[in-house]
Amino acid sequence: MRPSDLIQGTLDVLILKSLAREPRHGWAIAKHIQAVSNDVLQIKQGSLYPALHRLEQQGFIRSEWEAGASGREIKVYALTRAGRAQLEVECSQWERLSAAIRLTLRNA
Amino acid sequence: MLSRWLDVLRLRIRSLTRHGQVEAELDRELRGHLEAMVEENLARGMTPADARRIALRDFGRLDEVKEASRDARRVALVENLLRDLRYSLRGLVREPTLLLTATASIALGAAGNIAVFSLARELAFGSPDLRDPGGVVAMRVSHSSHVSHQRWRDLDASGALDQIAGYNFGGQVHWFRGDATVAIQSPMLVTANFFDMLGLPLARGRGFTATEARAENDPHLVVVSHSFWQHALGADSAVLGRTLRLDGAAYTIIGVLAPHLRSIAGLGIAPPLYLPLNRSLEPDLLSPGTQRVQLVGRLKPGQSHGAAREALDAVDKRLARIAGDTVYGGVQELGPVGAVGDSKVRQIRAFFTMLSVVSMLIVLIACANVAGLLIARGAARRSEIAIRLAIGGTRRRLVQQLMAEAFWLAVIGTLAGLGLSALAMLAINTITLPIALPIELRLTIDRPVLLCALVLVIVTMIASALLPALSATRPSLVTALHRDEPRRLGRRLTMRGLLLAGQVTVSTVLLVTAFLFLRNLQRSHLTDPGFQVEGVLVTEVGFLRGDDQSAEQQRMLLERMAERASALPGVGAVAFGAAVPLTTKSGSSNGRSIQFEGRERPEHVEYYRSEVSPGYFALLGIRLMAGRDFGPVDRAGAPPAVIVNEEFAGRYLDGRAVGRRFVFAEAEKPVAYEIVGVVANSKSRTIGEELRGAMYLPMAQRPDSRAFGFVFVRAAGEDATLARRLESRLSAEDRSVSVEVQPMRSALTFALLPSRLGAAVLGALGLVGLMLAACGLLAVVSYTVAQRTKEIAIRAALGATRARILGLVMRDASMLVGVGVGLGLVIAAMATRGLSAFLVAGLSATDPVSFIGTTAVFFLVAILASWMPARRGISVSPSIAMRVE
Repeated sequence: MRPSDLIQGTLDVLILKSLAREPRHGWAIAKHIQAVSNDVLQIKQGSLYPALHRLEQQGFIRSEWEAGASGREIKVYALTRAGRAQLEVECSQWERLSAAIRLTLRNA
Repeated sequence: MLSRWLDVLRLRIRSLTRHGQVEAELDRELRGHLEAMVEENLARGMTPADARRIALRDFGRLDEVKEASRDARRVALVENLLRDLRYSLRGLVREPTLLLTATASIALGAAGNIAVFSLARELAFGSPDLRDPGGVVAMRVSHSSHVSHQRWRDLDASGALDQIAGYNFGGQVHWFRGDATVAIQSPMLVTANFFDMLGLPLARGRGFTATEARAENDPHLVVVSHSFWQHALGADSAVLGRTLRLDGAAYTIIGVLAPHLRSIAGLGIAPPLYLPLNRSLEPDLLSPGTQRVQLVGRLKPGQSHGAAREALDAVDKRLARIAGDTVYGGVQELGPVGAVGDSKVRQIRAFFTMLSVVSMLIVLIACANVAGLLIARGAARRSEIAIRLAIGGTRRRLVQQLMAEAFWLAVIGTLAGLGLSALAMLAINTITLPIALPIELRLTIDRPVLLCALVLVIVTMIASALLPALSATRPSLVTALHRDEPRRLGRRLTMRGLLLAGQVTVSTVLLVTAFLFLRNLQRSHLTDPGFQVEGVLVTEVGFLRGDDQSAEQQRMLLERMAERASALPGVGAVAFGAAVPLTTKSGSSNGRSIQFEGRERPEHVEYYRSEVSPGYFALLGIRLMAGRDFGPVDRAGAPPAVIVNEEFAGRYLDGRAVGRRFVFAEAEKPVAYEIVGVVANSKSRTIGEELRGAMYLPMAQRPDSRAFGFVFVRAAGEDATLARRLESRLSAEDRSVSVEVQPMRSALTFALLPSRLGAAVLGALGLVGLMLAACGLLAVVSYTVAQRTKEIAIRAALGATRARILGLVMRDASMLVGVGVGLGLVIAAMATRGLSAFLVAGLSATDPVSFIGTTAVFFLVAILASWMPARRGISVSPSIAMRVE
């Protein structure tokens, strides 16, 4: 599934969720989402980085440059407190929405 | 929460200010990602070349990613603002008509405002240039503007305030320059501690100290103003130590004041000389009955006005009791300099407050005009805006764009206004008012004025753009795409209509005020002063201060001068007197208790008093109604005679005045005065005054000497050289007095000055307001007619007559104007009430002529402004009009 197929705004919650356990850099976030979704969700760089920057501007995540495993400097993103709260809000919204869609598809 | 916002703010600022660094980091981050992909491909066993190629393919276009990230960072906000400013400026340049009319409107309004602001600051509201002016207060004690020298000293010594100084301002001194005697108007006579306490800034030398200038030592020191030093003393660099012969004594110059000082006298008055109060200038200075000292004090550190007042009140009451006065002691007023006592200052302040309001109204009218223009433009761009809103442009963003336009208009307009007002200031600075006061104006564009301009920019921007922006972006795609505003009846009161009605309201208020002042001027011109003005020359004779000339010696000199004058060819009748009506030296107003013969008890009588020679009334054409004129019999020592005017006779003596006797009830040695004649009423102090009683005494019987006297001459023809010949002939009579001849007409010039100034200023402002309102009206009506072109065409096609259609269009305009004018008249009726003080007697603040006149002018303008576009609308052929869409 391509990101464009994702319902708008879902990418944000996926990114927040993937950062919930530990800070990651951009590539790792994409990889993580891909792995967790059994390769269904492939995040394109063209969507990922704007989303990361937007979230950062909104104050939900913050970034830091760290030395990576290969010796290269990598930019690592971490959830902020506001981001954690936002994640909860968006998760519950997503639950409600998907439950509603499921109900609609089953009963309509 | 707060930390989050701080974080956000920091990032935004960083995105803006460290643009390069942020971009570089983005680049590094993306390249890091790319490398990671390459490594992954290598790990899968690809060749390095393939690994890189495939990674690049999968990554997509680097620039697109960057651009999207940049957008996400919302650098947008400020970048957009700058872009909007650039874009709107270009847009405005492409519409020169809009740019020109809008900025001209704002420029006119701003120029008026700035000029009034700086004038008001200079004349009425600026605080004097002193050390720490905030701690200086003026006061009025013992129910008198001036107190005795002794009282001043006692008050100062009491310690109620930190220090108290005093001054006496006005009158004149004579300067014996060697070649001529020059009268110097309005020197400032000050107490010894004046300079010590107030700390006036000096350009050279020093002020006199409290010890050296003690009045008892009769100090002969002088500090001159900067402009006196420049103009009268030739900017002499060795001026300190030079002496000036003033009224017969030599005064040593010890200091020159800093240039352009705002003096403590206020009103832009710059006294040329500061002299210590002494006995040479005021012979009776030290006697308790001579009240020559106007008080000004410095508060103790931390002392409030209230505390100062309380302390001083107790002291003055005690001092008054000691002096045997149990009624009048105490403090009546204590406050900032300029706010106390002087009713003239208060009147001028009221005038400027009104001017400020008026000029602010003009700015609002100008803004309404600009708003009207922008709304029209917004309406023209309605479909464009609607489409942009529909495809996702936010309303805020669009409003911001429109505000950017208004910003330019406000900035350009205000700058132009600033330029205009600078020109106006130059012109105002050169004006010399026909009054004997040393007024120096120095209007410049300084920091407060620039601040005023800045405020104007903000006000005009918001006032002229907010409504149009909101109305243009009102999200209603459907109607907007229809190209027209809804045209149903009853919805004609659009935002523009309301704006116009408001504009008309404000202009009405303005115009009524202007009208009132014009009427006032006209009335003042028509008002008969009650004496002859044409063909009369007035010679002012200034006697030496402190000279021992008795009243009789002064009279004899005046009489001798009158005789000499009558010998000159071209001179008719001559007379002399102690005052000239309607000038600054116009005699005195009195309220005394008078016991008329045959009445039971004394009565309080209010009257104007002057002393005149025989023949004075005949020369000035004031008719003798009963009894006789003064004559040689009324000499010193003869039974005191007076002449009263008809008003006096009518009000206090039932019209039968001749032969009646009276005494002044409070006099120590009551002397019986006999009324020997009654003359016609004439104006005495101001042209606008109500009829008032007047009492004239013969010059020969006046008890005290004065600083000046006047010789009146009736000239046979309009002989321009007569004044000069008279002046040289009379000054040859006695070299110790100053002689100045001017036509009586200049007295009237002075009397008409207030109404003339008011009429000129408000007339000009009113005209500007009317013009702006007319332009607004024209624009609105043209626009509505353009909107209804199709409707008009259909009506015409269906057989409506031209007159009917014309009436239809004009009815709308008249309705708007009617609402505006109606509201305006109501507000004006309330607003003009405060103006009564400036109006001549008999002209009420709700003068019907002014109100009806204003209404008429507006409807005339409305008819003209709507008639032109309406005609154009009718003349369009129906077939063309229908095709417009």
